[in-house]
Amino acid sequence: MSSRKQPKGKIRPPKKPNSADAQFNDNWDRLAQAIREIHKKNASILSFEELYRNAYNMVLHKNGDKLYNGVREVITQHLEEVAVSQVVPAFPLSGASSSQTNPNGAGGANFLKVLKTVWEDHTTCMLMIRDILMYMDRVYAKTANVPLVYDLGLDLFRDTIVRSQNYPIQNHLLEVLLQQIKLERENEIIDRTNVKASIDMLLELTDASTKDTVYATDFENKFLETSSEYYRVEGQMLVGEYDAPEYMKKVDKRLNEEEQRVRHYLSQTTEPKIRNIVEEELISKHLKTVIEMENSGLIPMLRNEKMDDLGRMYKLFGRVVKGHDEMKSAISDYIRELGKAINETVTSNTTAEGGNAASGDKQTGATVAVRWVQEVLDLKDKFDKVQNLALSNDKAFQTSFNEAFEYFINKNSKSPEFISLFIDDNLKKGLKGKTEEEVDSVLDKTITLFRFIGEKDVFERYYKQHLAKRLLLGRSVSDDAERGMIGKLKVECGYQFTTKLEGMFNDMRISSDTMTDFKEYLDKSVLEKPKLDLSVTVLTSTFWPMNLSASPRCNLPPELTKACGTFQNFYLGRHSGRRLTWQSNMGTADIRGSFKARKHELNVSTYQMVILLMFNDKQDGESLSYEQIKGESDIPEADLKRNLQSLACAKYKILVKEPKGKEINPGDQFNFNNDFTAPLQRIKIQTVASKVESEGERKETREKVEEARKHQTEAAIVRIMKDRKTMEHNLLIAEVVKQLQSRFMPNPALIKKRIEALIEREYLERATGDRRVYNYLA
Amino acid sequence: HSGLSKDLSLILNDSDDFNVIIQVGENRNAKEFKAHSVILRARSPYFRSAFSSEWITIKNNMIIFNKPNISPTVFEMILKYIYTGELNLINKPGEDILGLLVASDELLLEELFNYSQNC
Repeated sequence: MSSRKQPKGKIRPPKKPNSADAQFNDNWDRLAQAIREIHKKNASILSFEELYRNAYNMVLHKNGDKLYNGVREVITQHLEEVAVSQVVPAFPLSGASSSQTNPNGAGGANFLKVLKTVWEDHTTCMLMIRDILMYMDRVYAKTANVPLVYDLGLDLFRDTIVRSQNYPIQNHLLEVLLQQIKLERENEIIDRTNVKASIDMLLELTDASTKDTVYATDFENKFLETSSEYYRVEGQMLVGEYDAPEYMKKVDKRLNEEEQRVRHYLSQTTEPKIRNIVEEELISKHLKTVIEMENSGLIPMLRNEKMDDLGRMYKLFGRVVKGHDEMKSAISDYIRELGKAINETVTSNTTAEGGNAASGDKQTGATVAVRWVQEVLDLKDKFDKVQNLALSNDKAFQTSFNEAFEYFINKNSKSPEFISLFIDDNLKKGLKGKTEEEVDSVLDKTITLFRFIGEKDVFERYYKQHLAKRLLLGRSVSDDAERGMIGKLKVECGYQFTTKLEGMFNDMRISSDTMTDFKEYLDKSVLEKPKLDLSVTVLTSTFWPMNLSASPRCNLPPELTKACGTFQNFYLGRHSGRRLTWQSNMGTADIRGSFKARKHELNVSTYQMVILLMFNDKQDGESLSYEQIKGESDIPEADLKRNLQSLACAKYKILVKEPKGKEINPGDQFNFNNDFTAPLQRIKIQTVASKVESEGERKETREKVEEARKHQTEAAIVRIMKDRKTMEHNLLIAEVVKQLQSRFMPNPALIKKRIEALIEREYLERATGDRRVYNYLA
Repeated sequence: HSGLSKDLSLILNDSDDFNVIIQVGENRNAKEFKAHSVILRARSPYFRSAFSSEWITIKNNMIIFNKPNISPTVFEMILKYIYTGELNLINKPGEDILGLLVASDELLLEELFNYSQNC
């Protein structure tokens, strides 16, 4: 900067010390006077060129500091005057109670208006002062390291007006601003331009120590504090007065208002802070209260499917940390509760119907299962809809809902059976009244329930049983639907499960071919033709769920035994080395019954046929006792009772029982019902079978499942050990659980037992030295 | 010489659409210059302030500005520099160069100041 001074020696100011001082005083007096004129808005009489030249000369003659300080003094004086003559007289009447004396805050508004004028005057003047002191700014202020004159003006304004030591301007300003905001929050119309002018002023002023704006240091904290208090009170008031939807609307409105307020006249930096406060005071603090509001909270919204309200809650509560968690857990609890209720109606129904099932009310069992699944599906639909319409398909919510479904579905130990029965029901009557697409979509939904089942292996067992019955009794409506379902299951359970199901289909197809061949064989054969049409389905024992290794006891009529023998010769002739066992408990027969009124074709089970044929030898009115029938037919007791029930106690009473009653008891007498009438010529006698398993059957199924699990567990252990060779006990358990959990949750005790069994059979050994480690023995 | 500076020097010397009249110098060493406020404002903060609405003096639709403490010779050089960005100090008397140095300092024409200082 020294280079900026006059070139050395070439030019010098005239050496007249006294006249230099005089020159300075003269220059300064004119400048000071000019600044006063500027303050009086009299600038038009002034010459920019002269004033600039005056200031230039003062700086040139090293009087920059005197000039600078002089300017500071003149401006300060002026601002002091402004404070006394303009600002102080505009103070609103009484600070705190002004809202009572001036309900519209008119005093405050006027105060802001005066401040706005004062501020605008100041900045206008400072711009003009800056113009004429441009040389001082450029040459003196930089070297002296003092603020440029305009900034000096801002600092003076800050200290003389805004933070005046002499007058409580700051208090009044802050109070009025907060009061105006409060009025606006209470739906008064305020003059935002005045508020904005003051806010902008505070934003332009800088706090010397923090280097932050005066807005931030003086105003913002107070604003946030009062806002906290305001919304704390409002929150308590609102939860007391409004129901949940109204409350949320109010909160929405408040959030919106605060955002607008910031946009219109506060600093953007305040936006997240005030938002946090409203969120904290109106949402976080009342989360639970609003969720749990009786008749209008989250659960009533769900119950009445108030999607808009739910959506609003999702959006609103998502703003705060715990919001969605609280919602999720409340909804989950609700799902569990509803699920529990569904489970309870079913258990109360099945126990009540336990007696009925035996007494011939054959449909109830399956109906309960179907209704349970349908209710669960309806519930699922409902929450899918909520997910979709109100929760933006939030994955976290989905997961939590799924857990809730999984929880209560597995609380019902019969769910695997029920779901299989539901599928069974749909595949049996599926197409009645439903399009193929509808059936398919129902089955798709059912698969989603299947996913929730923990014991998938149990489901598989039931599915196989139900499929076997559908196939053997020809009850399936659509082959496509069956195969479609198997396709879906293949995706879920893997091919291991479905190959067996496909094997069952295959048996059916081959059997139908075999029967064609058998007929040809009979036609060509010289043997005596059987007196009845025999239709045989040959089942591969490993594919089918029943125990096919032995024939159940039953004395078949001689003609039938003979026909069976013919078929057996034919079949074994083609496939040597196979063994056939006759499953008379699964067969059906078409027989003709002659009654007084007319003849009927009866479609009955093989057992029923055996029973009915006994009455052929009897005279009219001659009865057979339960013991006689049992002895002669040799049908297992449970099956016999069930079949007698179908014949004597169900819709079509082919036999008459003495004494009457729904139960079959030892000592009962049976007569052929010659007076039987029915509108249809062909009659199907359903076997009374509780479709939902009885306790005994369940125990049996359970045992079979446990047995299968043993094998699967052992297989998994061997698979893992073959791969790893050596493994520590806990790691092995963990790995086995991992492999099996998609089918069922194996308990460690079971796995441990299997490990021991495998050690015994010398697949594994304990490592010498560390008994917690196993080695694989090849 | 770029076409731009040539054209701008033509505007300075020959145009009739000037809107500023600047009285330069004192007494007998005085001269009137005609110029364009847009160009002066664009090129110099000094003139930007001088011609701002608070300070401007207009008579008969002309901006009137007095600059008594600069000699017309020096001001002509300044004006040429302002218009064209060019300056030719060859064969200029030392007195003028000195005047230019002082005037460019006052008017805060930094580039010009540095240039004339190095002559």
